[in-house]
Amino acid sequence: MPEEKTAQMVVIGGGISGMTTAIEAAEAGITSVIIEKSPYLGGRVAQLNKYFPKLCPPYCGMEINFRRIKQNSKISYYTMSEIESVSGSEGNFTVKVKINPRLVNSKCTACNKCVEVCPVERTNLFNFGLDKTKAVYLPHDMAFPMRYVIDETLCTKASCAKCAAVCKYDAIDFDMKPETVEIKTQSVVYATGWNPYDAKKMDNLGFGKVKNVVTNMMMERMASPNGPTKGKIVRPSDKKEPKTVAFVQCAGSRDINHLAHCSAICCMASLKQATYLREQYPDSNVFIYYIDLRTPGKYEDFLKKIQADENVHMIKGKVAKIEEDQESGDPILTLEDIEGSVKITKKVDMVVLATGMEPAIKSAGNHGLKLDDNGFIDADLQKAGIYSSGVAKRPNDVTNSVQDSTASALRGIQSTVRR
Amino acid sequence: MGDGTVVTPDLDFVKSLKSSGADTVKRCYQCATCSAVCSLTPPDDPFPRREMSMAQWGLKADLAADPNIWLCHNCNECTKYCPRGARPGDVLAVLRKQAITENAFPGFLAKIVGEPKLLILTFLIPIVLFLLILNATGHLNIPDGPVVYDHFFPIHYVDPIFLTSATFVFISFVISISRFWKNLNTNPHKLMAEGNLVKSIVETLKEFLLHKKFEKCTVNKDRTWAHRFVFFGFLGLFITTNWAVFYIYVLGWHSPYRVDDPAILALFNGSKELVVLCYLAFKGFGNLSALALFIGAVLIFNNKAKDKGFVTKMSAFDSSFNVVVMLLFITGILSELLRWGNVANIAYPMYFAHLVFVFYTIAFLPFTKLAHMVYRTTAIVYAKMANKD
Repeated sequence: MPEEKTAQMVVIGGGISGMTTAIEAAEAGITSVIIEKSPYLGGRVAQLNKYFPKLCPPYCGMEINFRRIKQNSKISYYTMSEIESVSGSEGNFTVKVKINPRLVNSKCTACNKCVEVCPVERTNLFNFGLDKTKAVYLPHDMAFPMRYVIDETLCTKASCAKCAAVCKYDAIDFDMKPETVEIKTQSVVYATGWNPYDAKKMDNLGFGKVKNVVTNMMMERMASPNGPTKGKIVRPSDKKEPKTVAFVQCAGSRDINHLAHCSAICCMASLKQATYLREQYPDSNVFIYYIDLRTPGKYEDFLKKIQADENVHMIKGKVAKIEEDQESGDPILTLEDIEGSVKITKKVDMVVLATGMEPAIKSAGNHGLKLDDNGFIDADLQKAGIYSSGVAKRPNDVTNSVQDSTASALRGIQSTVRR
Repeated sequence: MGDGTVVTPDLDFVKSLKSSGADTVKRCYQCATCSAVCSLTPPDDPFPRREMSMAQWGLKADLAADPNIWLCHNCNECTKYCPRGARPGDVLAVLRKQAITENAFPGFLAKIVGEPKLLILTFLIPIVLFLLILNATGHLNIPDGPVVYDHFFPIHYVDPIFLTSATFVFISFVISISRFWKNLNTNPHKLMAEGNLVKSIVETLKEFLLHKKFEKCTVNKDRTWAHRFVFFGFLGLFITTNWAVFYIYVLGWHSPYRVDDPAILALFNGSKELVVLCYLAFKGFGNLSALALFIGAVLIFNNKAKDKGFVTKMSAFDSSFNVVVMLLFITGILSELLRWGNVANIAYPMYFAHLVFVFYTIAFLPFTKLAHMVYRTTAIVYAKMANKD
């Protein structure tokens, strides 16, 4: 029999939207539970170097949220957990959750002794494969909860057990098994967020073939002080400092062959990333190739600020071909410069593809939710008591996601008092 | 816009484009993916992004004077990568048809031939004409004896008809193409044909023979062979026709080109082998050319049938012409077989039908799909002289 729990609100997804929803509800007196698939809370925002437009590191805001969670007895959370089913109706849902074994228990003090002895390596997906970790690892420097995790698919467990031998706190537990929990709840909020669109699917943009083509999320990791290069932006092939960098906008977005929707954040993200480069390499030149620059509302000021930098060049025209210069490894871009009405090729040190947001729920198995044509949750078509927050609903930046999450918290609260 | 520059969108033109197969034109949002992926576009004056915009605005005159739509060989790389499903490949194919109608002389005939609904009318012209001639000359019957087409529709009636048609075609092209040439050189894109004419023509023809532009296509390469077959099929039949003219009017060797014709034997010093060889070479060449044409037409349909998602859907303008090419071959080959089989009752009507299709192909050449060979040649020669190809 699965363990039974009760909570007034279940929030699926522990990124900035899910955390905000659960915290706002809890601070209004509602018991809430966050279900998070990965071993840490914070989601995509945890991977960012800076927020736009203020250009502050996201951990300022994250730390505050973590503290609100720690201080509030009405919030609980499960990491490494997946939804098996959601059944029932408003006021009376049952959410079945599968908790995958972390193999590291709560005694872990993050002393890192286990990592020093672990002989197995794994690709670090938090850094999009730009580096490796051991099979036992801390998800990232600022992870919450601050607890290590073992990659069950790679660890040889008892036959090696070097980590268990070295752990003074008895925190390694190879016997952990998957568990199931059933949560009785009154409302469910989906805050399932997004995955970066797989850049390999665009066969003309060279990702995976041309070594010095990276995605915008990889750029965030490279620029982050806790990233694979400790914040130094270098190009992948030879670790050279990139002095000319091209940003390819709408890489997959607004394209019926890939993502038909506008991903809403990529223009601002590229403008923001232009500042990373310009600060790190004052003699660098940045080229932004776009269809339209979409910087609505207040963001217009940010665009103007970046445009004022004469080393940032904005060229209207979509890049439709990227090849590699065999000798130098430099990517070569082909596009039509629309305003000049000429077709040009441009050789640069590195290319950043402004890839968009693919709703995670699209591929996650959607439990009977009504999705729109692009795979986002259509908020108007769900049954009573089922809500959605942030990018699960539509492409959104952090600011809008947080505002939307506060609204979703209120909707969830209404479901608990309506009866 | 103080200088009074005004673009007047021709909405009827836009509607006519949409109904002719360019129904996707309005989806274009001008991102220029198409120009970037195109392997044929001249870098200093890229297409088809600008042409898509011109089509959306209905700039009929500008499009009729645009050489770029003729540099396009319908590879459809643009359509494959278009993020909006605007299908620039299809749109340019329709724009070429419109450009023919716009430049052709006489315009009314171009409109009739270009309108698929009036296809019956275009066939009625030769049918009525032929029936009148046969009736007036007392040939409107099935002749007795072995099938000899010359007995049914004597060559000295056929030839004047086609000679007149050819002259008309020539005059029509002279007027249409000089109009087109003038349009090209006064177009808004400021490039003037100032290079060497002869050199450009030679280069263009060389390109055609080798199908160099087709070879540059990457996503839709199968079309190269289909077009090669049709191209060399027509070229072969053109040579065959002149070959026949030589036999009939120079050697005096008449249909059905009997190998025991005493006058011809005398001409070849009584060498029967040589006469048979001349006969076989002539007949063999003609039949092979016809076969090539047919294979090409089948390949074209076959390529369109294998829908890869980005191949141009056939417009009525294109497919009706392709059907005529197939019928041209079928009626021609059947006429030949029925003549050998001596089935007079079917053979003569079949020959009549064949002549109707030949008439359609030749007399309406300045207005059908086939006109592209002259427009395309002109546009590419222009592009070479203007140093943009």
